[in-house]
Amino acid sequence: MSRLELYSPEGLRVDGRRWNELRRFDCKINTHPAFDGSSYVEQGNSKVICMVRGPMEPPMRSQVNQTQAVIEMNLNIASFSTLQRRKRSKNDKRMIEMKTTLERTFEQSVMSHLYPRTLIEVNVQVLAQDGAVLATMTNAITLALIDAGVAMYDYVSAVSVGIHDQTPLLDLNVLEENDMSCLTIGVVGKSEKLAMLLLEDKMPLDKLENALAVAIAGGHRIRDLMDDEVRSHGNQRVSKLTS
Amino acid sequence: MGKDAEISLNERNFVKEGLKNGFRLNGRSLDEMRRPIINIDKNEYGFVEVEFGKTKLAVRVSCEIVKPYEDRPFEGIFTISTEISPMASPMFENGKNSDDEVLISRFIEKAVSRSNALDLESLCIIAGEKVWHIRADVNYLSYDGGLIDATCIGVMTALQHFKKPDVTMKGTDIIVHDFDQRQPVPLIILHVPICITYSFFNPVDREENIKGDANLEIAIMDADRSEELVRDGFLVLTLNKNRELIQISKNGGLPIDGLALIELTQRAHDRCQELTEHIKALLQADEKERYKNMNLHLLEVGASR
Amino acid sequence: MSKLQVTLGELNNVDGSARLSVGSTKVVVSVTGPIEPKIRQELPTQASLEIIVRPSRGLSGTREKTLEDLLRLVLQAVIVRFKYPRQLIQIVVQFLASDLDKDESSSETGGRFNTGASYMTNELSAAINCCYFALADANVALHTSFAATSIAIDENNAPVFNAELPVLKKSLSHHTVCFDIQEKKASKILLVESNGAFSEEQLLSTIQSASVECERIHSEVQRLVLEKKIDADYIWSK
Repeated sequence: MSRLELYSPEGLRVDGRRWNELRRFDCKINTHPAFDGSSYVEQGNSKVICMVRGPMEPPMRSQVNQTQAVIEMNLNIASFSTLQRRKRSKNDKRMIEMKTTLERTFEQSVMSHLYPRTLIEVNVQVLAQDGAVLATMTNAITLALIDAGVAMYDYVSAVSVGIHDQTPLLDLNVLEENDMSCLTIGVVGKSEKLAMLLLEDKMPLDKLENALAVAIAGGHRIRDLMDDEVRSHGNQRVSKLTS
Repeated sequence: MGKDAEISLNERNFVKEGLKNGFRLNGRSLDEMRRPIINIDKNEYGFVEVEFGKTKLAVRVSCEIVKPYEDRPFEGIFTISTEISPMASPMFENGKNSDDEVLISRFIEKAVSRSNALDLESLCIIAGEKVWHIRADVNYLSYDGGLIDATCIGVMTALQHFKKPDVTMKGTDIIVHDFDQRQPVPLIILHVPICITYSFFNPVDREENIKGDANLEIAIMDADRSEELVRDGFLVLTLNKNRELIQISKNGGLPIDGLALIELTQRAHDRCQELTEHIKALLQADEKERYKNMNLHLLEVGASR
Repeated sequence: MSKLQVTLGELNNVDGSARLSVGSTKVVVSVTGPIEPKIRQELPTQASLEIIVRPSRGLSGTREKTLEDLLRLVLQAVIVRFKYPRQLIQIVVQFLASDLDKDESSSETGGRFNTGASYMTNELSAAINCCYFALADANVALHTSFAATSIAIDENNAPVFNAELPVLKKSLSHHTVCFDIQEKKASKILLVESNGAFSEEQLLSTIQSASVECERIHSEVQRLVLEKKIDADYIWSK
């Protein structure tokens, strides 16, 4: 354990948040008009750009699916995104795992049966990592897909939660993530359905329920924040059209 | 995955219809696991064959002395290799790591290495110079679902069974004693992780799954091949008998209600207890037999000579 | 002489399989085919062979590649390849245990990585013999039967069959000999792979004794196993 006091007796965390507070969540859509859909998400100091192309005709025959759209994720983590500069190869097992996870998550929430024989290409670029990268990527992809006008059943909003002693802490930053077990969830819309669930370190079995409840509430909050941005961007566009 | 990965529409519907009515084609109940048959080799240490229904695999644990990684001079090295050859099923191509294969190896890595099941510091011989490199090679012979669960059981049994030769230091030289000279030493295992995989099926349409409140999704434990090819999503749980969750991986797939997931973890824990006991009993029986074969009871105090 | 123990057809997802153990070598071979090949593998007039050898521990390296090549030489000659044009026969040889695993000194020196491609005569002969059973189990047409044996010539110039690794390391030379078998007689040499220093007479006498051993393997093991399989396959004719 580190010397940092992660959760003070007064109930404050290293960055001054309470246990159930999210970090600053900032998102923009339609940041790259050259693409069909794009978004930029900041969750604390984690920063991710996402660009979507499609649905379009697949360039390769192997990517054709007769019954539904194929979603292809290209993840790229910039080498300057962490303190130690390290090049992450695309074939790193961890990268492949994240890529497969995201592909399979969005296969379910995109109405892919509406776009048979097409490809939806999603490019994700991580600019800065400050914990919960997978969650930030998920949120960015959701927004970019909405911006691209791809039909979806609902938002997928992701957030992480950790357990410190007895208390669950919402939305961990990198300092906290390194020192406690971290659960990342992807929740669908306003429901309690989980599309994605990842826990990589030990957590007491009985704490899971508590952690999940906090995480789901956090996920819903993020959904609302994303929804605000989507609606305000929509209104802006509509006002341009009418004037 | 290439050839044979497809399953006919008829079979797909048949499996699904069965599950909707609460039946599985293999006759098991929804949360029934196949009973693993674990064969521990009688002549060697750390060679285990596991049969999980028709899924078969062999695990071999071996060791050698190497130089440690520079950033971790006090720790030994532990690697697990889980490459799947076309022997298991023609759908696995040789040398081509499909996404599913990578996922399997990541799950095992997280369950066993990342959770510190094997104490790495005890593998150090001379800090920064010489450490033991323990490797577990998993060879898949036949595939009928449940590769993750079977691999985890196999690797953990083999690790607990394995013994490495004793070493002594003479100045800066190390002497490795062979098994006849000195009794070999077992590895230090800190806890025994058990993987349990649940497969999810959606009996209704996707809209109902996402928008409805009915939560009709079906979860089954330890799917076989046809069930794995039909399933809409899966969840890997890794636990140990100390009521610790080591890994939860639900890599996308069918969205599942949070409360339902918690219930699954509870049920998985019961299975985990059973399996841990089963492995322990097997290892004890093996130990006893070896003990008898070595005639060590003659050395015991009070034994009649 | 160590005994060959063979079981057939224990794997489910392949067309034929066999498990063979001899001495401290244990090997499983699976045969899938004839199946559709990838385009680059396809041969217009005959079946192509994909041979994959996997070690019991570690990743496959030069040792396994050498074994694959030698196996290919033998199998190309015995499989009736023109019977399956534009098809693929996939053969996976998976070692479960070999001499090197038991070699305790390997834990010091880095094991198999130092031995390179040498001392693999036991593995080669076991692989060839096991392939025979797996091919038969998969009902792949063969021109003839075949059997292989490994012989070491020890310090006293005496032949040792299936020598264990310590004996092998001390031996003057060691040989893997594979014969085809027609009318229960060893007739033609399919493969001789020799290592070490030896004279011409030694080689000839080794081949001579190998032919006797191959005939013995054929009559004592291969026939019995196959007859049992035929009995089981044609159960309705009784």
